[in-house]
Amino acid sequence: MIKQHNLILHTEKQSIHLKIPEDLSVRLALDIAGLRVRAACGGIGTCGACSIKTVQGSFNARTLAEWQKIPAEEREADIRLACQLYLNSDAEVFLDNPAPESNWKSLDLQHWADYHYPKFEVKHNIYAVAVDLGTTHIRLSFWDRNTQQRIACRHGNNPQVALGEDVLTRLDAHRQREDNLQSLTEIVRDAIIEGIRDILARDIGEIKAILAKVGAVNIVGNTVMLAILGGQEGSELYDPESWEHQITCLPVDLPAWKQAWRMPDADITIQAPLAGFIGSDILADLIAIDITQHSEPILLADFGTNTEIALWDGKQLWLTSVPGGPAFEGVGLQNGLSAEAGAIRAVSLINNRFVFDTVDDEIAKGFCASGFVDAIALLRTQGELKLSGRFLNPHPEGFLLDKTNPHTAVKSGDIDAFQRAKAATAAAMQQLLLLADISIDNLCELWICGAFGQHLNVDNAQISGLIPTMDSSRIKLFGNAALSGCEKMLLAPNAKKITDDLRELVHVINLSQFPEYDDCFINHLRLKPFLGDK
Amino acid sequence: MFETYINDYNEAVFEIDKELALEVIESALEEGVTPEQVVFNIIIPSIEVMMAEIVINADTNLAQHFMTAQIAAEVTEQMLAKFESPPDIIGRVIIGTSYGDLHSLGKRIVMGCLKSMMVDVVDLGVNIKAEAFVDAAVAQDAQIIAISSMMVHTATGEEGSLKVRSLLKERHLEDKIKLVVGGAPYRFDHELYNKVGADSWAADGVTAAKIIHQLIMDGKS
Repeated sequence: MIKQHNLILHTEKQSIHLKIPEDLSVRLALDIAGLRVRAACGGIGTCGACSIKTVQGSFNARTLAEWQKIPAEEREADIRLACQLYLNSDAEVFLDNPAPESNWKSLDLQHWADYHYPKFEVKHNIYAVAVDLGTTHIRLSFWDRNTQQRIACRHGNNPQVALGEDVLTRLDAHRQREDNLQSLTEIVRDAIIEGIRDILARDIGEIKAILAKVGAVNIVGNTVMLAILGGQEGSELYDPESWEHQITCLPVDLPAWKQAWRMPDADITIQAPLAGFIGSDILADLIAIDITQHSEPILLADFGTNTEIALWDGKQLWLTSVPGGPAFEGVGLQNGLSAEAGAIRAVSLINNRFVFDTVDDEIAKGFCASGFVDAIALLRTQGELKLSGRFLNPHPEGFLLDKTNPHTAVKSGDIDAFQRAKAATAAAMQQLLLLADISIDNLCELWICGAFGQHLNVDNAQISGLIPTMDSSRIKLFGNAALSGCEKMLLAPNAKKITDDLRELVHVINLSQFPEYDDCFINHLRLKPFLGDK
Repeated sequence: MFETYINDYNEAVFEIDKELALEVIESALEEGVTPEQVVFNIIIPSIEVMMAEIVINADTNLAQHFMTAQIAAEVTEQMLAKFESPPDIIGRVIIGTSYGDLHSLGKRIVMGCLKSMMVDVVDLGVNIKAEAFVDAAVAQDAQIIAISSMMVHTATGEEGSLKVRSLLKERHLEDKIKLVVGGAPYRFDHELYNKVGADSWAADGVTAAKIIHQLIMDGKS
């Protein structure tokens, strides 16, 4: 177990508290937190831009790069390079000149299974990009295909959120957008290239020349996002007839797109979604966990605005999707937040007091989806919230977990939104299990993917019946599964065959064809555990 | 006497506890309440209480709406079989989701409540063309066409309510048949029902039943 230390970082404007493992540089830790140092070399100490002043604590000894890059008088003033700086104890540092605020943060790669792809000689255009395009978030990683090394990862918000939270509102906005405004296609393409440029500027230190050497871009995502990205109208998504068929989402203007991205030789692939509302992001999830290599049944759910669910029965894949509503992304709740500073990502009860784990350790400003799941479970076990989703006693302004902070209120409307989202998901899981004739007890594993999965407390998720009740050792969380699978499609030597084979095994289920789904949904509205047959 | 049953029954419905709600009805029957009284003196007043509750108390949620309709329909169905003489049906509604829309839950809430209120409901199902609505209304001598849409494009689409309105006009049926719409898009734009040519709308399934009931009664008077 790697030791963790507390770091307090001061700037002119604010102070933040972080927990940093001993083997993570201060620069990378700050990149993840989103308050970034200036940088232009990828953290190898050659640009000298990331200077930071140590105030107190014990650190590693100065590296050669620091002796070379930091003038003597600054060294005497305890200036170090953040990319070379590691903590040996709790510490305090001062950052004089932080990088401008950015939409992009580095992904926390701890607990992320690292694949080692066999090296293969790529003579030209050695760089490659993997992109997971979500309704709310965009995740991407930049690779050197010669060394098969991930240079850096980023995640940021999809700026289209301002034009609608769920996929259909977004599609409506896309079609009705007036000609004089920037199209949703341009908005999302600009966002992705901005994320790539952020990596190049900070982690390589060169943009134009590197973009010219990008040979492949692989993009997965939900169907609506990919249709918009490709520049298509997406009209077929309105037609129920096309909901069960594969949708190609081919870009309509590839040469212009490549030119706009300054990647003349890039092979840009939009991975075709599996059906109207089942994107290629879940295909990437399935590839990431090698689902077809298992002989036992596995259930996988990628929670999000559009929640996609897959059941592997050992022979074929049953797939469906349900509207999770934005409840699973935090943003759709009245008192909800995405994973920004102050968002409550976990709640626990210590000595009868609710204790919050917030992003950047800031004062609670609202709930992330995972924090809300905890809050519901704790209020249920405390008896404050009834199975129906109603409070034991009236709380017109919501139940305040911290009496002094209105942002900690669990509101009735938010509980209702959560109940609907969890009932839709649980009922969909139950319907797939029924169709494949598999009981919860026979499930070998349950995988929870999507950002929601990253901080989910599975015991609490089981109390409200969001996921089936099963031994927690069989439940696996994999927040970045879609990006990981997308990388595999880009880098594994037999990637195309894996992807094509998997597509052959897919059996898409449109739940509206099953009248019993409605009853199942109603039964799952109560905040009670989702139990198996036994 | 009925007040206690209504309170107990409604409390169970509010707790989305179907078993308890059914127990209340069961014990009412055991204590000599007739099936007719169950429907007219417990179920219908309790739906009315729920309708009033929705207006004054935002703490009713979707789960409760579903449960109100589901239990009401189920109990009414059971009681109707035990009625001494067939009940008077106050009117008939043709219901379905708009063309391109497969969301059926909102429609179910409306149907459950209407059935208990002695309104005959003919359910055409999901993804229904405008012609089918009008043809069915004529064939079944219905007073109301009710269309549920959960998406903006199905609410405002040319094949939806707009076309039903133009068909009603074309066939000179506007006096005889009223058009009611409901579903999420109408909650965001309270004037949308007008734009799609409907006579009325409701923000939720339980209230929709109330409005449809009212339109039928208005038509009669």
